[in-house]
Amino acid sequence: MSFYDIILKRIRKIQEKAEEEEPITNVTASAMLTAELTLIASVLVAVVMVRLIHPVLMIIMIAAVLIIALMAMPIMPRLRREQNDDLNNMMFYVVVALGIIVALFYWGNLNV
Amino acid sequence: MNANALIAVMVILPIASALFLNLLHKKDRTIKILAIITAIVIPIIPLLTPYGSHFFGGYVPLAQNATLAQGLPSLITGTQLFQFHPGVMYVFTSAQQLMVFVLGLITFFAIFTFLNETKRPSGVYAFLMFMGTASVSAILLSDDIFNIFVFFEIAALAQVGIIVASGIKNNYETALKYILLGNIAGPLLLLGIVILLGVTGNVNVTDMIFTFKQGYVDPNSPVILMALALIAFGWLYASGLPPFHTIKSAVYSKALPHGAALLQAFSVFTLVAIGIIILRLFSYNSFTNIAIIGISVIAMILGITMAIVQTDYKRILGYLAVGELGYIGIGLGLGTAFGITAGLFQAVNEAIITSFLFIGFGTVLYKTRTSNTRKLGGMMYVNPKVALLVLLAGLAMAGVPPLNAFQSKLMLIQAAIQSGLPELGIIMILLSIVTFMTFMKAFYTIYMRPKPKELEILDNKIPRSTVISLVALLIICIILGLFPQIATNSLQTLAAGLV
Repeated sequence: MSFYDIILKRIRKIQEKAEEEEPITNVTASAMLTAELTLIASVLVAVVMVRLIHPVLMIIMIAAVLIIALMAMPIMPRLRREQNDDLNNMMFYVVVALGIIVALFYWGNLNV
Repeated sequence: MNANALIAVMVILPIASALFLNLLHKKDRTIKILAIITAIVIPIIPLLTPYGSHFFGGYVPLAQNATLAQGLPSLITGTQLFQFHPGVMYVFTSAQQLMVFVLGLITFFAIFTFLNETKRPSGVYAFLMFMGTASVSAILLSDDIFNIFVFFEIAALAQVGIIVASGIKNNYETALKYILLGNIAGPLLLLGIVILLGVTGNVNVTDMIFTFKQGYVDPNSPVILMALALIAFGWLYASGLPPFHTIKSAVYSKALPHGAALLQAFSVFTLVAIGIIILRLFSYNSFTNIAIIGISVIAMILGITMAIVQTDYKRILGYLAVGELGYIGIGLGLGTAFGITAGLFQAVNEAIITSFLFIGFGTVLYKTRTSNTRKLGGMMYVNPKVALLVLLAGLAMAGVPPLNAFQSKLMLIQAAIQSGLPELGIIMILLSIVTFMTFMKAFYTIYMRPKPKELEILDNKIPRSTVISLVALLIICIILGLFPQIATNSLQTLAAGLV
């Protein structure tokens, strides 16, 4: 099964769960594939910046991101499902982000 | 009249006009005349105003008041009290001039398009647009962090009003969600401000910095760090950076095109204004810059990847606008004079280009009453001139030379490399390419593919005012692309002061 077919299958599954009735077209699948590749490539390049903290940590993190990406692929359909207009979802991410920001600003400063 | 009083007029005029327009219900002609006059005057005032400060109520610091300062004991002249700003102060420099001017210009184009696309223009809608503009102008000008918070709240309410007034399906729901999320972010921002007030005894940013620099307060104390985190969180909400990117893109998609053009300009300039305050107050803490860069990279990646998979062109633009905010954040986060100048220049460019795109794509909504790309096609035949203008707007957003975003994105990439972070440059190039691809996908489905049989195109002609607005915005993009120094010269003094 090609990666394109895996993407199609996963989109279909997620649409069934979300009870969406939109047809899956070539454009939808290609867009999802592009987004997937962009996401993985951008995150990998961003992780290279960890070299400023420690080169070994960078290698470990790149390996971890690669493994997670390969295991969780395709990520975009899930990400799209999570990044929806549901208030509960938004509230959840807002509260999580607040926790992360406060924690990072509080402890991050002590170690930079 | 004191020439510096014009600084206050930049905020007072749109508020006064807004309040008056609100009263003119059903007086269509009067609304049109008053709204257009105000919209013309708003961008002119910053051009006529000399640089300087305005002290509301005339409460200048003792150090600047020769009469009061005479004969004061050293107990006062030798302490912070002598420099202390007792009232609200607005500061107007070349950077504020450029940004308030561009905001005024976008307000003008939004009002101009609204008045001509709407048969019976609503005074209430114009009220909301002017109130938003006044609030964001105040946020850009004010040196008083509590004053900024008040206008932050007014801007949020004006934005909610603009969504509610659009009449687009599910707009009420989106407006409610936006205000509910604001009910988390707003009070937390206020709490951050209150903590700073409690610790430093000030709400004036210059006074707070003085307090930190003189060692009256330990800037690395946990309480100050908590205030920084809370203010940063409020900043994310105001500008639409993650985790607020989803609601912000929804907000843009539920507003009318001229409203969306203005809303994104509000987000861009609020991001810049509060971002500058954060840098001024907390740049001593290197983690601030790291956090700004981190959030900006996440915004770019999430915004642009989410834009690709959307099928509603207003939502595509909304997410792309969020992604572009990340470029501005990176400029600010790099923390060098060149990087900050590039970030500010990108902000000016993005505000112009995204307005250009919203107004341009708005013509599709005007002709078809749909923004779903699955139902659209063949719009090139309907109006090829507008299609060309929209294409150029998309090229500008992607950073194609000789248009303006090319210059600012190039500067950002150079700044990233100079700062020893070439990875950021690579990400920016990669995401610019994907932005271009996303735009071309939307452009193809709307304009170039055959028109679907079931698509009904209305007979109403696209108003000439809309086309004029698009051409004017294109000219600005070309001018800033060919002569970037027009903008960068105005911005670099502010940027240098932040380093």
